[in-house]
Amino acid sequence: MEKEKHVKLHGRRLFVNVLVHIFLAILAFVWVIPIVWIVLTSLRGEKGSYVSTFFPKFYTLDNYIQLFTNTNLLNFPRMFTNTLIIAICTCLISTFFVLSVSYCMSRLRFKFRKPYMNLAMILTLFPGFMSMIAVYYILKAFNLTEGNMIRISLILVYSACSGLGFYIAKGFFDTIPKSIDEAALIDGATRWQIFTKITIPLSKPIIIYTVLTSFIGPWVDFIFAKVICRANADQYTVAIGLWNMLQKEYIHNWYTCFAAGAVVVSIPIAILFVFMQKYYVEGMAGAVKG
Amino acid sequence: MKKKVLALMLASAMVATAFAGCGSKESNSGSASTETSDSAEGITLTVWSPQEDQDGDADSWLQKECEAFNEAHPEWDITFEYGVCSEGDAGDTVSADPTAAADVYMFANDQIPNLVANGALSELGGDTVEQIKANNTENTIASVTYEDAVYGVPFTGNTWFMYYDKSVFSEDDVKNLDTMLEKGKVAFPLSNSWYIASFYAANGCTLFGEDGQDADAGIDFSGDKATAVTKYLVDLVANPNFTNDADGSGLAGLADGSVNAIFSGSWDYDAVKDALGDNIGVVAAPTITIDGTECQMKAFAGSKAIGVNPNCENQQVAVALAAFLGSTDAQSDHYTMRNIIPCDTNCDVSGDAVAEAQTDVISNKSVLQPLVSAMGQYWTPAESMGQELVAGTVTADNAADKTEAMNTAMNTAAVE
Repeated sequence: MEKEKHVKLHGRRLFVNVLVHIFLAILAFVWVIPIVWIVLTSLRGEKGSYVSTFFPKFYTLDNYIQLFTNTNLLNFPRMFTNTLIIAICTCLISTFFVLSVSYCMSRLRFKFRKPYMNLAMILTLFPGFMSMIAVYYILKAFNLTEGNMIRISLILVYSACSGLGFYIAKGFFDTIPKSIDEAALIDGATRWQIFTKITIPLSKPIIIYTVLTSFIGPWVDFIFAKVICRANADQYTVAIGLWNMLQKEYIHNWYTCFAAGAVVVSIPIAILFVFMQKYYVEGMAGAVKG
Repeated sequence: MKKKVLALMLASAMVATAFAGCGSKESNSGSASTETSDSAEGITLTVWSPQEDQDGDADSWLQKECEAFNEAHPEWDITFEYGVCSEGDAGDTVSADPTAAADVYMFANDQIPNLVANGALSELGGDTVEQIKANNTENTIASVTYEDAVYGVPFTGNTWFMYYDKSVFSEDDVKNLDTMLEKGKVAFPLSNSWYIASFYAANGCTLFGEDGQDADAGIDFSGDKATAVTKYLVDLVANPNFTNDADGSGLAGLADGSVNAIFSGSWDYDAVKDALGDNIGVVAAPTITIDGTECQMKAFAGSKAIGVNPNCENQQVAVALAAFLGSTDAQSDHYTMRNIIPCDTNCDVSGDAVAEAQTDVISNKSVLQPLVSAMGQYWTPAESMGQELVAGTVTADNAADKTEAMNTAMNTAAVE
């Protein structure tokens, strides 16, 4: 009797588990399909934007070769370099900004602290592209919208206000005991020394998290790059380049290269994630605690 | 982090206004000194064109023509700067900030109202207009004329026609769409409003009067004549030999043989040639039979033209360059180097099927794509009509109501 009940319970649990796993499998399938599709398309031998079969009729690496060698029309390697330079610079600058602001908000006490935090909260609720035309005119007034200065203006745009996104890092810093800081103060350390010698080494996870988000921002941004680059083809970023490949004039010849480009673009992000993944999870968890 | 740019914005809102003021002042003083400063001293001209005109290096079309222009005018010492902006994007990119845009650029003629409204396009006059009028057909001249002023030097026509498989259709077959549908498969981009108008125009529906210039006339896609077209289209969609051409399915169909005719423009020639090889046929769109009468489908015709930015400091030089880039010789070069079909009547393009089809469409089988700002209201209702036809929500029974609803939407100003 006892045993029978046990088997029954076990059976029901098995049934529920099977259902859940089937459901999850379907979800996973749906989620993975676009990625599989883009990889397959990037290897597709036949040209054009429309195919009647999911799997390519024949496979080739020509799309990748064309992407990197056919630089007369759309210079993908240069776009890639541009984006990489911008993303790395932005990453360094805005990581520093975010950590500094978070540290101040977490450790220092000053009159404007509360109002500032509220203000930042409200400002982050607005979408950034609301301001893009105004940003463009400001940059133009500083003569930053021609030639190589475009790279600088893009770095400026992406990193200038990153300090506003301090909430998660501040939450993490709040979890580091204040008594450590006080001990260091008594030993004669300055605020800067506490920040660099104590807080930073203790907050690897959140630094990694900040690095990741501030790298991906400029890496995938289209709208600001489009507004600021305008007709300067030598300053295009990958986002604009990929968008161009889908224009009426190019789509037939460049569609499969577009897919190849999309795969190539995801590589740096994927590498970053693979190396920093375990810290990423920790960083998020730490923030929640605070 | 880009989202936080707004903070910068709010913080410097007042500064921004101040800068905007500066900017416009600068440009005013710039145009004030126009026409006087084009003597021997160095002049810098920025030229925007599509990427294909300037690929490679010194031997590409734009660079070649600009150098030739420089040599032809020893009195000016010009340095050229090149930017990339396709004709289709010029309307948005130049209008976004005319003061920082190119001095000379290429645009599709349907953007003229927008560009003029944004102060981004100079009216041409004098010799340049004489040159345009002497070298082009009336339809081409009309395509760059807006409110009785000429705004660009046209260099190629912009319209669509039909590519077909010669092994399936004979030359007689392609004269009528209904005959074609009996013999082979036809794909038409019905859900694209640039194309669908041809059916309505075939049966006497008009956009902004007969000549497409009369803003007060509005869009007339109403009454029995339009309903008859909608009913024809309902039957067309139901025909098993008809497919809607969307997302490149027509072109792909040509390649694998599941489609035998598509409607597109000169930009797709190479792709169609790849698909059909020697069987490629090019001809103007066919006639359709509505209520027993044969009506010619009429494509939207336009042109691509070279325009001058009024913010340019050296108007005279810029206009001369625009005229030079649109001259007979430059158009011939454009044709040999890039296969851009010239619209200049002095250029010899006989024997080129695509050029002949395009010329035929523009001169005889088209309506001028209206240059009226209210034209903006046309696109979305027409596109919805096409999509509903394809989806089957428009039927013979509700055709009259749906057509009337479309016409009303087209003549209702969007929120301004």
